[in-house]
Amino acid sequence: MNKHHIQRYVFDAFNFSIIFAILFYGIFTHSSESLPDLKKSLLVLSGGLVLGTFLSYWGNKKGRRTLGETLFSSAEDTAVATDHSLLRSLWGFQLIVSFLVLLVAAGRQTEFSLIELLNKDGIASAANLFHELASPDWGLLPVAIVKVIETIFIAFLATVFALPVAFILSFFAAKNIMRGPTAFGVYGVLRTSLNVVRSVEPIIWAIIFAVWVGVGPFAGMLALMIQSIASLTKQYSEIIEGVSEGPIEGIVSTGANPIQTVWFGVVPQVILPFISFTIYRWDINVRMATIIGFAGGGGIGTILYQYSMRSQWNQVGCLIVVIAFVVWVLDILSAYIREALK
Amino acid sequence: MSKPILKVEKLTKRYPNGVLALQNVSFSVMPGEFLVIIGLSGSGKSTLLKSLNHLVEPTSGQILFGDKDITRSSTKDARETRQQMAMIFQQFNLIPRHTVLQNALTGRLGKTGTLKSIFGRFSKKDISDAYSFLELVGIRDKANIRADQLSGGQQQRVAIARALMQNPSVLLADEPVASLDPATCHVVMDYLKKVNRELGITVICNLHFLSLVRQYADRVIALKQGQIVFEGSPDQISAEWFRRIYGEDAREVEVE
Repeated sequence: MNKHHIQRYVFDAFNFSIIFAILFYGIFTHSSESLPDLKKSLLVLSGGLVLGTFLSYWGNKKGRRTLGETLFSSAEDTAVATDHSLLRSLWGFQLIVSFLVLLVAAGRQTEFSLIELLNKDGIASAANLFHELASPDWGLLPVAIVKVIETIFIAFLATVFALPVAFILSFFAAKNIMRGPTAFGVYGVLRTSLNVVRSVEPIIWAIIFAVWVGVGPFAGMLALMIQSIASLTKQYSEIIEGVSEGPIEGIVSTGANPIQTVWFGVVPQVILPFISFTIYRWDINVRMATIIGFAGGGGIGTILYQYSMRSQWNQVGCLIVVIAFVVWVLDILSAYIREALK
Repeated sequence: MSKPILKVEKLTKRYPNGVLALQNVSFSVMPGEFLVIIGLSGSGKSTLLKSLNHLVEPTSGQILFGDKDITRSSTKDARETRQQMAMIFQQFNLIPRHTVLQNALTGRLGKTGTLKSIFGRFSKKDISDAYSFLELVGIRDKANIRADQLSGGQQQRVAIARALMQNPSVLLADEPVASLDPATCHVVMDYLKKVNRELGITVICNLHFLSLVRQYADRVIALKQGQIVFEGSPDQISAEWFRRIYGEDAREVEVE
């Protein structure tokens, strides 16, 4: 029993248990509205796990390759692999059944319906919406411009505040700088917390800060700043990890201390890519600031949300044109600057 | 007879991956000597030089620098050692985006405070010294050009100037001419010789080409698989010794 065996049993067990669970609920429950009985579900799932492990073990013993065995096989296993075709082997059958079951379940869960998609009334109201969007209410233009400027500044300030923090943190999040046990511990803690921060979407941060400092551009700026610190630190530290060792060795050999070594050996190598990534981050932040407005983060996103909730599509059309224009211009501008920095 | 400036006793280095780079290497270096270390790639030349200034930590053995045992030193002592034993490298290891003058000034980092150096506030004396060492290696007119704009030979001369800025007593040169074309080889080697003769700095230099060894070395040490297989004056390296160091199939290449 080696690592590969465990991997394949675990994989097959989960695979079978999910298929069993889906089939069980597909057959025994009729309404998708009814809430699952958690205890019963757990029973079904663990039953599936046991059955799956058994099937995987039995299949492998009988020389039938399960999907788990095919995915997680050691080199010597692969060497003696038989050349069963996809349809004639157990793993091929397992793959196809899993895929079909998942496809059907996904269709049910997302309430996929061609009838709804091709509904005459539905198409007519969508056409009407597009028609109204296509004739924007230009009377809203002054408001839209003021609000889009707010959005650009939210993004700008978030990037500017994030920059120095990310700059300093990035050295502590770079593997080649953080050598030795203590340093590596700091590196691990920092990397983990950055990943946690990054995995929380900025729109969630916007809600948190809207509660904290009140709905408005300030909350949006703080949300973007938190997100930018985490993202920039990660990008910066990856650049630092890619620097060439030569100049660092050269500086170390002069008897420089660690801070001097980083400042003279590392910083000159990373400064241009840092600037490039920062401008790109501002560009991304402008787009994100619009979305954050939906959650009370201020700027053009907030009024876009208000008008679309009231189905005032002419006004929404005007806002979309302004947003598209600004995103387009910033995109070209940032690409142009980043090109020049190379 | 004067005392050796550097005495290496039974130096052994085993890398974490198990490679035994140096085995019981012992030798002494006299002040003002131009010592050349030869051997195939992978024979341990580079490891030997880098263990002297703590870029590599030796596994066992002893290094005496003057009267001081520097084998196991604190990071602070290691920095002190590095200041006194300057080093130049095969790939020059300059800061590409900085000017020649700025690169030369980094030789004074060990004697400059952290904040002062970060803000680039080197003293007037440091700057005038930098100019005179650049003058010494014939590259003063390029002082304000970025290091990556220079040719390989010029970059190596800047690296020598940076090393001299440390006011070292020993200069370690790790394959200083291996990435240069034959014509520039001699220019760089001549400057090393000049530093050795005029400033009295002890030079320990790793080299590939025997013709350069005969021309520049006072004394030669040959390494093979991490062990010293020859020690003597350059003209003692006969054809037989050459085959013993470099293997039966080796043929000597001349650098004009």
